[in-house]
Amino acid sequence: MNFALLSLAIPLFCGLLLLLSGRALRTRTTGFIVIVSTVASLVAAWFALQEAAAAGADIMLNLGGWETGLAIRLRLSSLSALLLVFTALMHLLIGLYAGLSRDGIKRDYWALSCFLHGSLAALWLSADLFNLYITLELLGLTAVAMVALAGPKAYKPAANYLILSLAASLFYLLGVALLYGRYGELDVLLLAPRTQADVITRLALLLMTTGLMLKAALWPLHLWLPPAHASAPTAVSALLSGLVVKGPLFILWVLWSEVAPPTLAQQIGPVLAIAGMIALTAGGLSAMRSPHIKTLVAYSTVAQLGYALMALGLLLTWQLPQMHIALWLFVIAHGLAKASLFLAAGEMQSSLGTKRVDGLRGATQTVPVAMFAFAVAGGSLIGLPPSGGFLAKWVLLEPILSEPGNWPWAMGVLLGTLVSAAYIFRIVAISFDRAQINPLDINPDRVGHWLALLPALMVWGMALSGEWLIRLLAGGPV
Amino acid sequence: MTPELLPDLTLSLLLLIMAWGALYAPQRSDAMTLFIAFGVVVALIWARLDAPDLALAEAAIGAGLTGVLLMHAARALPDELHQDYRTASYWGALGFTVVASLMFLVHLLYDDSLFNAGLLDTESDLTPRLRTLADAAVPESGVEHPVTAVLLNFRAWDTLLELLVLLFALGGLRQLFPSGQSDDSATTASWPESMTLMSAWTRVLAPLLVVTGGYLLWRGSSAPGGAFQAGSLLAAAAVILRLTGLLPPLRWSSLWLRLSVVAGALFFLAVAAATAIWGDGWLTYPGAYSGLLIISIEIFATLSIAITLSLLVIGEQEDLRS
Repeated sequence: MNFALLSLAIPLFCGLLLLLSGRALRTRTTGFIVIVSTVASLVAAWFALQEAAAAGADIMLNLGGWETGLAIRLRLSSLSALLLVFTALMHLLIGLYAGLSRDGIKRDYWALSCFLHGSLAALWLSADLFNLYITLELLGLTAVAMVALAGPKAYKPAANYLILSLAASLFYLLGVALLYGRYGELDVLLLAPRTQADVITRLALLLMTTGLMLKAALWPLHLWLPPAHASAPTAVSALLSGLVVKGPLFILWVLWSEVAPPTLAQQIGPVLAIAGMIALTAGGLSAMRSPHIKTLVAYSTVAQLGYALMALGLLLTWQLPQMHIALWLFVIAHGLAKASLFLAAGEMQSSLGTKRVDGLRGATQTVPVAMFAFAVAGGSLIGLPPSGGFLAKWVLLEPILSEPGNWPWAMGVLLGTLVSAAYIFRIVAISFDRAQINPLDINPDRVGHWLALLPALMVWGMALSGEWLIRLLAGGPV
Repeated sequence: MTPELLPDLTLSLLLLIMAWGALYAPQRSDAMTLFIAFGVVVALIWARLDAPDLALAEAAIGAGLTGVLLMHAARALPDELHQDYRTASYWGALGFTVVASLMFLVHLLYDDSLFNAGLLDTESDLTPRLRTLADAAVPESGVEHPVTAVLLNFRAWDTLLELLVLLFALGGLRQLFPSGQSDDSATTASWPESMTLMSAWTRVLAPLLVVTGGYLLWRGSSAPGGAFQAGSLLAAAAVILRLTGLLPPLRWSSLWLRLSVVAGALFFLAVAAATAIWGDGWLTYPGAYSGLLIISIEIFATLSIAITLSLLVIGEQEDLRS
């Protein structure tokens, strides 16, 4: 457990000390310090993962040594350890890009990204509904601050994001208050056997689900996401789409798969799964029609979250625990692919001097590496074998296809795949249009382009460790 | 019918009227005043519900600082916003309230599980199990007041994260003031100079606020009070001093200011790490020193809360980016 806490404490300490140091350090030095601390946090998270995998069961820690229920409990499961590693890895990849690419980034980005890392780590480890609320607040506030890093043009999306995020937090908090009033417990594992399908529980779960779906931008509560993610600085967009929306999704998963009584979970399951299917299609269609590169990538986040929502819905409908493997594989594959997409999109925008999709004509010739990164990451979103996206989709499809009665759900996955292929291939097709090349605005930044490719290569590498990942998520021996 | 019912009903009705007025008052200044009054009524209700800690915090933050924040913000806005949509949102709010309450009541009538569980039965014992647990553990916590024991010992991790929430909010606010551009013309004018009465009154009030804040902090270990309440009182003192021009800008470039902003969270986190490395675990205070540790954490937290809150309320370009 101490390794997990180390992985959580390092970024928080680093962020606080950076805030304290003010302008004493140069921006480059600041970036270097943050990258070193992220590496340290990654190593600690890796050891925590080994510890969790070796333990075989969840490791619980009663903070303060108080009795269960009185103390806040932290839980280190193999899933939360994996998410710790994933968070640190994403921060490392995006931090390297932010520090080494030519455009650079404002000094405040570094402290805020440390805080974001710490908040996410606290969220993955928490097993207490009220503590999860505070981590949600932390996550929302840092995410809003990071959107505002882009300057005055991002203030409006950031303000909308802040207000919606606060409203969503209040929904969640009201639900927690109702549950506490009804059962007198806040601990997830203590609540789990006690919850009953009565009116207060239903109301509480409904409120919390609304709040969390709003925060995770799950269809139909996703409208704030595209402007906020598209107007943030490139590195921030990658963090927001790749990591931040997964935090509320984690709480939603904990809430329905553990806290909610199974009868209620079975009732809500199909609703969530259908919302996921609609998200896949509607988000994909919006991405297909979007005139701007970054908005396209942002809408693709809405669409891809549909897969996760569908996996969650089917997990609840059929009470099939192995569906959570598909859910978390989607989250990891999407995070890595989306980081690459946003970084590549940002690099192409600055090299070609245009925000529009039409401006990408001939991009295979002018910015080949960034375009390659975009296409490779897009391949994982579509689910081409042997990428991480394919792995996740395979695990999702296996139980759907094994039972003829479940085949209608497969249509949803198929439709989603076709739409994702359509918007990715739209970009790729335009970039091969070498007849009317859109000339370069400035010389491309080679380092930045290669760093944008790195997460995309990793998501294809996920297939190599597929068996290990599936066993880890299944909680069996690794 | 108990004699307390009348004041209780009056308070609840007052709360609803204040809320409605704050939302739908035609003048912005009326709406702000009603919002402050709303905060006071909420504080009274908390006091009535035997939660003096919450009442103190609500009065200081919900009514006091938020009121100043609103008035400060209102000065930067054009005089009146267009209010064409008001009638529509009025009926919308009313309709939503009625439909939501009806749905809940209907649901309650059809679902008798609550009656079976004895929840609506006034005779049953509603004391939560956690309350009993907490009361039993207070003597070992190092402080005498149960609320302080919960905040700084049983659920200290929540409080640590709450301190970070304040800090991150300040980090977000700083993004609204771009660095490097230090034209003083952009900053809004200070409050009218001719507030003789106000500044004379402030000179008396501020020391009193500081003393009261210190008292609340010291009292927190045995009675209602503590870091958040004391910090918000100190912040109120700093805010009125700053608004009347008696306090120079709190400059972010000063190391002392940055140190006082991060001190609370940094010290708390350091305690957590130290207990994890040398002690029995993350935030498990060693028994003999827990009272001392809690008091030191509260002192640092009060300082951070006071400075952070006052920066959040009155922070301008010269405070945050100089």
